[in-house]
Amino acid sequence: MTISANVKYTKDHEWVRMDGDIATFGITDHAQEALGDIVFVELPEVGREVEAGEAYAVVESVKAVSDVYAPVAGEVIEVNEELEGEPEKVNTDAFGAGWIAKVKVIGDGPVELMTDDEYNTFLEE
Amino acid sequence: MPTLEATLAKTALFAAHVGLGGKMVPFAGFEMPVQYKMGALKEYTAVREGGAGIFDIAHMGQVRVSGDEALEFLQYLTTNDVSKLVEGQVQYSALLNETGTFIDDITTYKLGDNAYYLCINAANRHKDVAHLQTEAANFDVVVVDESDDTTLLALQGATAQAALQPLLDIDLESIGYYKFAEVSINGCDGIISRTGYTGEDGFEIYIPNAIAVDVWDALLANGAVPIGLAARDMLRTEMGYALYGHEISDAVTPVEAKLMWITKLEKGYFIGKEAVEARKESGPQQRLIAIKLTGRGIPREHYPVSVDGVLSGEITSGMFSPMAGGVALAYVKPEHAEAGEVSVEIRGKQVAAERTVLPFVRSNVRR
Repeated sequence: MTISANVKYTKDHEWVRMDGDIATFGITDHAQEALGDIVFVELPEVGREVEAGEAYAVVESVKAVSDVYAPVAGEVIEVNEELEGEPEKVNTDAFGAGWIAKVKVIGDGPVELMTDDEYNTFLEE
Repeated sequence: MPTLEATLAKTALFAAHVGLGGKMVPFAGFEMPVQYKMGALKEYTAVREGGAGIFDIAHMGQVRVSGDEALEFLQYLTTNDVSKLVEGQVQYSALLNETGTFIDDITTYKLGDNAYYLCINAANRHKDVAHLQTEAANFDVVVVDESDDTTLLALQGATAQAALQPLLDIDLESIGYYKFAEVSINGCDGIISRTGYTGEDGFEIYIPNAIAVDVWDALLANGAVPIGLAARDMLRTEMGYALYGHEISDAVTPVEAKLMWITKLEKGYFIGKEAVEARKESGPQQRLIAIKLTGRGIPREHYPVSVDGVLSGEITSGMFSPMAGGVALAYVKPEHAEAGEVSVEIRGKQVAAERTVLPFVRSNVRR
């Protein structure tokens, strides 16, 4: 797993990596582990504007359908189309090849995101 | 508030599941493994592609029916023709209400001329047993619920027989499809049938709880992989097998559920017969169809199904099949049973589907 200082986490087990005003979204390793084998990812449309906390994608495991929420507000500029054919990348590389969407951040961004240490503490609780 | 532990039952293999990394979930009043460490897809693959999987299905119920009128009793209570059963044979059947709807679907084992063994669904166990015992008052029979003392294991897949044979004195080759034998296993009496719920060759193994862990461990040592509820449901749905609470329930009759092949109207009276005849005459209120998505998505239970743009019914079982894609069983209006463009509503969007035939993937059961 790639740990980086500019990666932050939500309580819903999403991660966001900031690179200037571009944010990349995904779900955490803990989330993919809890969901089990992921067999389908519904990606957002490029150009869509999402609010922080809005469901922007859907991840389906064998048994469960789960919404994925945007950690920050932005306009979707790119989606990981490889997940359409290989949704299992979310399982095998949640923080890397399993990224879901990139957005151009709108506004001031997040209120409550956790650092790596904070997220790990949150998981232990 | 009652705790999870206090309200849910555990099978004799509970500790074994936890030890294998089983993710335990509530199911039919039991704590059962939904998957183990390797995950549902790999478990599914182990069973479908040449291996053997072992399933703890001890939550299911077993009832012994014996007495001089055991045959008459079961002819009266079950839909299939029990007089056609020979000793050592298993029959798929059902218990109906007077209204012709399902109390449960069951399997009937003929142990001898006056002795039968029924396997019933976990969720329906108390309802079934109460029904059987009420009706038993009018027959010379004894109905004994053996569920609490019995562990039922399913061993399914191409190498199931190889994994089980070393535990037994009898030659498993002698047990044909939907046949069984009463056996000695680990010093106890057991029943082994060549039956299952996966579409693969394999067995169901009824043993006393006392030897459940030993038999489970021996089968694992012989190469069987533990399989959880998630993979079991994938394997079941791919075959299009009906599951109580999904395709069958107390809201549908065998006419709707396409189970007239186990409903022998010519055998004489049985509970629900007149209602089924009337329904057959008037036509089903809904029809079960098999569909495959042509658009992207996974059809899931309760998703609305439309035909030619008109809401027609809903999915009863749906899944992502690694071999067949998004597949589902659905009830639709009778006029939509044969023709019309099918679509499934997924998160507010209509996704195209096509009609297909069952099973969704090839069955490898030994006929």
